[in-house]
Amino acid sequence: MIPYLLFATAFGLLLLGIHRKMIARIQRRPGPPVWQEILHALKFSFKSTWVPATASEVLFVSVVLIAIGIWTAAFFVLVTGGSLLIIFAIYMLHKIVEHGFGLSSGSPYGKFGGVRSVISAASEIPLFVSVSAVAIFTGSLQISDIIAYQAESGPLFFAIPLAALALYLVILSKFPSSPFAIVESKEIVSGYKTEHFGVWRAGLETCNGLKTYVLLLTFLSVFVGAIPFIGVLLAMILIVVSLAFVCALCPMLSPFDSVTIQTIITGIMLIYVLYLGAFG
Amino acid sequence: MIGAGGSPLRYLEFGDIVIYFSPYTLALFLLALVFTVLVIASKPERQLDIAFGADAFTTKDIGLSEMRFRRFMAIACGLASMGAMVTGDVFDFCLFTSLVGICNVGIVAAVKSRHVQGAAFQYGLVALAGTVPLFGGAAIVAATTGTLSLIELSSTLLPAVPLVVKGFLVLGVMGEGMAPFYAAKAEMFRAPGAPYVIMCSLSSLLIFLRVIEVVLQM
Repeated sequence: MIPYLLFATAFGLLLLGIHRKMIARIQRRPGPPVWQEILHALKFSFKSTWVPATASEVLFVSVVLIAIGIWTAAFFVLVTGGSLLIIFAIYMLHKIVEHGFGLSSGSPYGKFGGVRSVISAASEIPLFVSVSAVAIFTGSLQISDIIAYQAESGPLFFAIPLAALALYLVILSKFPSSPFAIVESKEIVSGYKTEHFGVWRAGLETCNGLKTYVLLLTFLSVFVGAIPFIGVLLAMILIVVSLAFVCALCPMLSPFDSVTIQTIITGIMLIYVLYLGAFG
Repeated sequence: MIGAGGSPLRYLEFGDIVIYFSPYTLALFLLALVFTVLVIASKPERQLDIAFGADAFTTKDIGLSEMRFRRFMAIACGLASMGAMVTGDVFDFCLFTSLVGICNVGIVAAVKSRHVQGAAFQYGLVALAGTVPLFGGAAIVAATTGTLSLIELSSTLLPAVPLVVKGFLVLGVMGEGMAPFYAAKAEMFRAPGAPYVIMCSLSSLLIFLRVIEVVLQM
């Protein structure tokens, strides 16, 4: 399992690199090499590491370990076919991690990133809608049961496409340069991660790689079902390419617009799941 | 849906109140525990504010007495969150949720900032209103099924819990600090003292995550 965890982290970073490269090519820039995010993680591992004088030291360091810990837990839950509800919980708790990253340093840029993370709480609700729709259809929240259901009845992607779209939007909101990535937009430097450098940033990059892999694998497990491992990797690349098109062609929204649009999407998705509950 | 968060791993009986640890509730309990330990072990950060119109900045320091009070409230909030994560009783869950709301107000009410105190007051009103559907839901559960035990409620032998109860419980928890009522709470994050302020958002999220399991369990 540990080699698979390491592979997942590295492949997640590679996916983020492909995402950056695709955005650059769509915008007619050369862009960085696809392995740039892996190089970033390695580079930060060997750079000088410090804790700002104004920071809450224990929280500043602990939050990096918590970030890695929760996504490692999510990975194990996913590959062992555990409860989708736990993945949902970990995804929501990642917000607290972003909040902790931002507030613990004392930097105003980090603080703005952390507060933006909290105010965009509506972006999590579509995931709740996805989980509810899946529960209504399959009668279970165990990922192993959901995969078994799809082996018998076909992919849920075709049965509940709007729930799949909801999860796709959740993944989009967590991708760098997305229209909803207000927590790390450039007017607040790097947002919640501004002050974390050296080993702490390497830890955060590692967490981001693992998070990307886990989210994409969750999407494929829940809406496509069991497919060969090579197929999983190719499907992940395809999803990342589609996300890159959205990120390259849509401007980043202002915090107000981002929250408004996410709230509207959430409202539509809630109506959809109520419809499924009543007539599905 | 029985065992939405996985099958219970362990039961702890306190008279007729049973606490249970499923993979889901255990994960949430551990997170509440970790952040409570962090509250105990961390000192608050010193927030930097940029002075507009000048090449200068200021830092906000927290006084010792304020820090002690806020830390006490944050620890109380952590303990209430832990209780809410593992309790197997609907009424206890509502009690712990209300306690979280009170502690959240306490965590920031000591901050000497007009904006923060205004936000805390507004949040307190919303949280207070949220307790009405919360305890109303618990009362209807007791009236319709004769029990408040989540383990008994998950069995198919009892009458079905009315759908309105689930709506009441979710609405009550949302009043304790979830979107869209979260707007009243956002200003509270102006307050310095990251380890304590984080407990405000963490506790609300944990309670929301638990109520999903509670309504699925019924």
